[in-house]
Amino acid sequence: MSEVYRKFGRSLRYENGTIVRSDEAGEAIEDAHTFSCRPIAHAVELPAIDGRAIDETVREIHSIVRAPLAIERLIVSEGIAEHQFGERRWRETTRRIHVAITFRSMRALIDLGDFDLADVRLISAALARAVPAEAGTHTEGRIRLAPNVSAALLPALISVAPPNIQLIQTAGGIDGKGAPIETCGISFASNWYRPSYRVRPVRAPFSLRASCDVTLIDEEIPRAIALLAPIERLTMSVLCVRGTDVFPATVRVARIDAVSTAVRWYPYGAGSFGAEMML
Amino acid sequence: MIDSKHFAIVTRDESWSLGSRLVTESRLIHGSADQRGATIDARDDLDDELLALCDRETDRVRAAIAPLREGRARAVVSARRDGGVSATISLSVRDLAVVTTLPHLAGDYEMLIELASVPAVADAAGHGVPLVWRNGSGAVLMHEAAGHPAELDQPAIDWPKWLHVESPLALRRESFTDVPLRRMTNVAVTSVEAGFSPPSPPYIEILLVADGRYEPLTDRVSLSISAANLIDGDKSIRLRRFTIDETRETIARSLRGASGDVRRYPGVICSKEGQNVFVGSHAPDLVTDFR
Repeated sequence: MSEVYRKFGRSLRYENGTIVRSDEAGEAIEDAHTFSCRPIAHAVELPAIDGRAIDETVREIHSIVRAPLAIERLIVSEGIAEHQFGERRWRETTRRIHVAITFRSMRALIDLGDFDLADVRLISAALARAVPAEAGTHTEGRIRLAPNVSAALLPALISVAPPNIQLIQTAGGIDGKGAPIETCGISFASNWYRPSYRVRPVRAPFSLRASCDVTLIDEEIPRAIALLAPIERLTMSVLCVRGTDVFPATVRVARIDAVSTAVRWYPYGAGSFGAEMML
Repeated sequence: MIDSKHFAIVTRDESWSLGSRLVTESRLIHGSADQRGATIDARDDLDDELLALCDRETDRVRAAIAPLREGRARAVVSARRDGGVSATISLSVRDLAVVTTLPHLAGDYEMLIELASVPAVADAAGHGVPLVWRNGSGAVLMHEAAGHPAELDQPAIDWPKWLHVESPLALRRESFTDVPLRRMTNVAVTSVEAGFSPPSPPYIEILLVADGRYEPLTDRVSLSISAANLIDGDKSIRLRRFTIDETRETIARSLRGASGDVRRYPGVICSKEGQNVFVGSHAPDLVTDFR
C-alpha cells in the first residue's frame, strides 16, 4: 500500500547577506520498496511572511557580534507549512537561527529554534575573552553543560544513555505521518521524522528530554557554554567558562551525574530540550 | 540600476540498489529563481524545455546503469538555464565509493569493483614512507589545499615552482532555493618540470579519497583516504582507511615532484553551505613526503 504525503510551504530566509523568499508544494509517495517525490500545484493559500522579525534579528545579531569576533555564517529563517497525510491536515510555523562566530582559531556554533538571542549574547561576550586554542585546549574532567550544549548532546545519547539517565520524548505537535507526538520513553516512541517532503521519513523520537534522579548541579565546576564543533560520537569540543577564564576544551562524555529542569527547545535532530547537565 | 537574473532548473535524482535492480528513491525537483540585488524569489515552477532535456539525459543514464550488478548507484541529472545538462553518478560497492560522469561510468565502475575486491589488512600508522597520489587523486589534495583557500581569499603560500594548479572559480548553486556561491568548477594539476623519478619502495600509493576538508581558521587540510596500498618490495598491502591532517605549509613543503601523465580522478562532490556541486579533477602522480 502506498502512503501519500503533501506539503505546501512558504519560507523567508536571510543567508549571509541574501534574502531568499521561497514558495514550494510537493508530494511524497512511499511504498514498501520505493520513495518518490515531485512538486505539485500550489492548491493551498498560505499567509505572507512578514520579514520584519528576521530583519530585526539579523540587525541585533550584528550588533551583538562585534570585532574582534566575526560572523562566519548567519542564517535566520521563518516558515509556514501545511501538511497533509491521508485525511489529516495540519499547519506549523518554524523559526530557525544558525550562526557561526569566529575568534582566532575558534568557531562557536549556535543553532536556535526561536529568535531569542540570550545564548548569542552570552557566547559572544565569553568568546571575545577566550584564550587561544593552541595555549588553552585541554580535556576537562568534571564539567557542566549549558542547555544549548546538552540539547546538542541528547540525539547522540539515543541507545547509549547511561542507566541513571532516562531519555523521554515530549508531547507536542504532529509527526511526518500525521500522528500526534505523545510523551513516552524513547524506546516506546514510534513517530516519523520528515524534515522536508523530499526526505524519506525515518523513525525518531521528537523533542528529546533527559531526566535524572539527581537534579542538583555543582555551580563551582567549569561550564561549557558553546559547541566549537559538531559532536562526534560522544566527544565534544566546547567553549568553557571557569570564573573569569574562558577556554576551549575537549569533553568525552562517559557519565552524566545530574540533569536539571529542561528550559528551552533546540533544533537538534527531531528537536531536543536543553537543561543544565553535570558530567 | 538593479541587477536582475533568472535561473531555472529541473533535476531528477534517482537511487538504485544494483543487485536487486530496484529504484529505491526517485525525486523530481524543479523551480526557478529571480535575483534582484540581494533578494532571490524562488518558486517550484516548471520549465518544460528543461524537463525534456533532463528526461532525455536521465534515460541515457538509466541505460548505462542497467548492466551494473553490484552495489548502489545514485544519479543526479540536472538541466539548467545557466549551464546545459549535467549528470553525476555516485557508485558505492562495499565500503568504497566514487563519483563519476556518464562518459566514464563503465570504466570507473570496473575500477571500483576491482578496488573493493581487495580486503584492507593493515594500518597506515607507523609507515613513515612517501605517499604517491595515483589515479589523479593528487587533484583532491590540491582541491583542499589550494582550491578552497582561493575560494575564501586566504593568504597565498609558496607552492613548489614546478607545481601548477588551476582551479577556476564561478558563481554556482545546487538548486533554485540556494544562494549562488563562488565555487571551484575544476581542479587541474600539472608539473612544469619533466624527469622526476617516483620513489622506490617502500611507499604508499593513494588510490581513492573518501572525503576532505579545509579549515580556514587553522589553515589545515584533512583528507580521509579510503583506498591505498603499501608497496614494500614486490608486495602490495591494502591499508585500512586513514586520515591525513596537515597544514597547507606542511603540504607545500612535502611536495617532492610529479610523474606520469595527467589522469582524471573520477570526481569530487564538493559540499559547502549545504550545497553539493561536482568538481572535475585531473593530476599526474604527485609525491609527498611528510617525514
